[in-house]
Amino acid sequence: MTVDRRTFLRGAVASGATLGVGACRSGDDASPPTSAPGDRTDTTGSTDPDARNGPANLGGGGGGGGGEYLEFEGRHQTGIAAPTTEDGLLVAFRCTASDRDELAAMFQALTDESRRLMTGEPYEEREPAFPPLHTGHVGNPAPAVNLSVVTSVGASLFDDRFGLADRRPRDLVKMPFLANDRLDPQRSHGDVLLTIASGHEDVNLFALRQLMRVTRSSLTLHWMLEGYNRRTEARKGEAGVRNLMGFVDGTSNLDHEDTAAMDRYVWVADGDREPAWATDGSYHVVRVIRMLVEFWDRTKLSEQEALIGRRKETGAPLDGDAELDVPDYDADPDGALTPLDAHIRLANPRTTKTDDDLLFRRGLNFSRGFDRDGLLDQGLAFASFQRRMSQFLNTQERLAGEPLEEYIRPQGGGFYFALPGVTDSTGWLGQGLFA
Amino acid sequence: MAMLASLATLLAAGCSDDEATDDGGTIRPLETEGASASGTGSGSASGSGSASASGTAASGTAPSGTASSGTAPSGTASSGTAASGSASATGITVDTSVTVDDPLVEEAAMQYTEYVRGQTDLIVSDATVFTDAVRANDIEAAKAAYAPSRQAWERIEPIAGLVEDIDVAVDARVDDFENEDDPAWTGWHKLEYLVYDVGDIGPESGATELADQLDADLATLRETMSTTDIPASAIPVGASELIEEVSGGKLTGEEDRYSGTDLWDIAANLDGSQAAFETLEAAVEAKDPDLVERIEAGFEDADALIETYEDGDGYQPFDELTEEDSDAFKTTLGSLAEDLALVSGVLGLE
Repeated sequence: MTVDRRTFLRGAVASGATLGVGACRSGDDASPPTSAPGDRTDTTGSTDPDARNGPANLGGGGGGGGGEYLEFEGRHQTGIAAPTTEDGLLVAFRCTASDRDELAAMFQALTDESRRLMTGEPYEEREPAFPPLHTGHVGNPAPAVNLSVVTSVGASLFDDRFGLADRRPRDLVKMPFLANDRLDPQRSHGDVLLTIASGHEDVNLFALRQLMRVTRSSLTLHWMLEGYNRRTEARKGEAGVRNLMGFVDGTSNLDHEDTAAMDRYVWVADGDREPAWATDGSYHVVRVIRMLVEFWDRTKLSEQEALIGRRKETGAPLDGDAELDVPDYDADPDGALTPLDAHIRLANPRTTKTDDDLLFRRGLNFSRGFDRDGLLDQGLAFASFQRRMSQFLNTQERLAGEPLEEYIRPQGGGFYFALPGVTDSTGWLGQGLFA
Repeated sequence: MAMLASLATLLAAGCSDDEATDDGGTIRPLETEGASASGTGSGSASGSGSASASGTAASGTAPSGTASSGTAPSGTASSGTAASGSASATGITVDTSVTVDDPLVEEAAMQYTEYVRGQTDLIVSDATVFTDAVRANDIEAAKAAYAPSRQAWERIEPIAGLVEDIDVAVDARVDDFENEDDPAWTGWHKLEYLVYDVGDIGPESGATELADQLDADLATLRETMSTTDIPASAIPVGASELIEEVSGGKLTGEEDRYSGTDLWDIAANLDGSQAAFETLEAAVEAKDPDLVERIEAGFEDADALIETYEDGDGYQPFDELTEEDSDAFKTTLGSLAEDLALVSGVLGLE
């Protein structure tokens, strides 16, 4: 196995590094010890990397894409805890609905289209005098490549426009400037965030166009980021993916199949002092973190490893031999082996006190060209889902001032709340907001 | 002008008249005064019934040319025939493959043709006010006349732009050229640049020659359109493209970047789109009343937005447009465009 692991940047933002959408779900340091040692694999992928690779028959339509169509219905939105995929797309919108009815109609349209896309229901082929109902570039239906769409809402949706102020999840606020941030308002926040993930970028773009078509009257683009995760063969618990700093990322993430862990750390539950409608939803944090890759590539290996807290090649913690070894910080109180300010040690100190702060990370690597200095614009779109915002904020606070900050620059993203799932054929995303 | 391709294709498709087709779908300015055509768009709308429902009928009749225009209402019924007549006679490229068996649609084609001709008359007269001011080297008068001079053009731009090369000659932006000094750049925006940015339309500036050229090009436009019958199938496409014009390039303020008069153009685009749709409204109402309701609501929303920027007889400068209203335009127009895109299908206008 080639995998390495580590998390890296988990910190970047928070703790883990993975981003959001799809890919890996692993968590590096953030995962609880119980799951860390060796359980988890991506269902879709680790054992069969090709499965999430792109479909061989893109364009053919109708299955055969190397994956499957997902269930749409469920207490939680399926895509949050679905096996990770190779490609992801984050798209934030501003909402121009003029009243609650229009807003509700938008969520209904979004629900219907998401259901159709995820379950692979084909579009009607109309008479040629009409524009086709689908783009045509991936077939009809799109191939089965584990497509999922996750709908999240930003704090701004709860302002005075729709009378939803009293429905705002308790800790959902506009993402503030955190340590080291240089947030670009053009690439931050938004009323609605869609996280589209699948085994192929073409299918993600297909889904986006179809979704935009049915929400045209209410949603206008705010920011958008395409990302990916190239999976490598990995054992359960290993990250199976590296970030653009070259380190494994997602080693001890929460296991999406570990129901108890997901209930403890990810899903809002009854009795959580949240509005009733929020139960089964999840706080969703996105941090678009630029990596100064040229600078990083000129940094000594020993320093890179000290900054992260893991070996680059193997992903092993600095006091261990293999990716899945759990670091023993109690035995290294002065940081002789793993520096006290190493990224993974700050992100997940593995203490009883910090055990409540674990995050479910789903990050994406991204590349969007280069900047005016002629430097590559690459990085990690960190994303995490958590039951309480404090899980993220506590982790972030520990990471504030970490030496790794010199190499990274959070530039965008936002705080969102992933809506609860839809449990029957008549329900729709966000319905509880209007109840 | 970017949006014209589909319209051009539409008008070109199926044209069987050789001389008209090799230019990729644009309408050629007349080289000879068209014999036939003579527009009379108004004719009796009725004729109807005949309407060879069969899709092919029209193309069959096209070559015979004369079937055409004047008689269109009667006989073959299809709007295609009306067009085909003028095609053979005037060198205009139009789609003759379309058959329409709906008298309401036929009526629409005539109404819209009349509307377009009325607007081309206005284009010429309104532009002259502007070009006269330029020739008089009167910058303030030129500024006052610039935006008004474009209103009629912006109401029918997708149709007017089909006249070969006319759109480039009169409405190109500097982005289509190497730089502002490129002598190939002519038309309204070049003059806008001289008036607002350079601030010199004197004898050495070349403005007078540009003004003369604009007048001449617009005269050609009027002459060509006076003998062109607009086929029904072009109406919904034209209505849609006017909205696409706004959505793709005007909400950024890039169209009238020197004068900041984009909101005038937007208002005219909306106006022209609505006028086009209204000719078809009865026909659409008969088949999909919900669609009519949505489209009307869309125009109302868009009108309400632009009205808040009215200022005297015109509109406020583009930079007054708030981000919030810009967003509202994007979604309102986006939604309207989706609905207008269904009109051809509802009416069976392939």
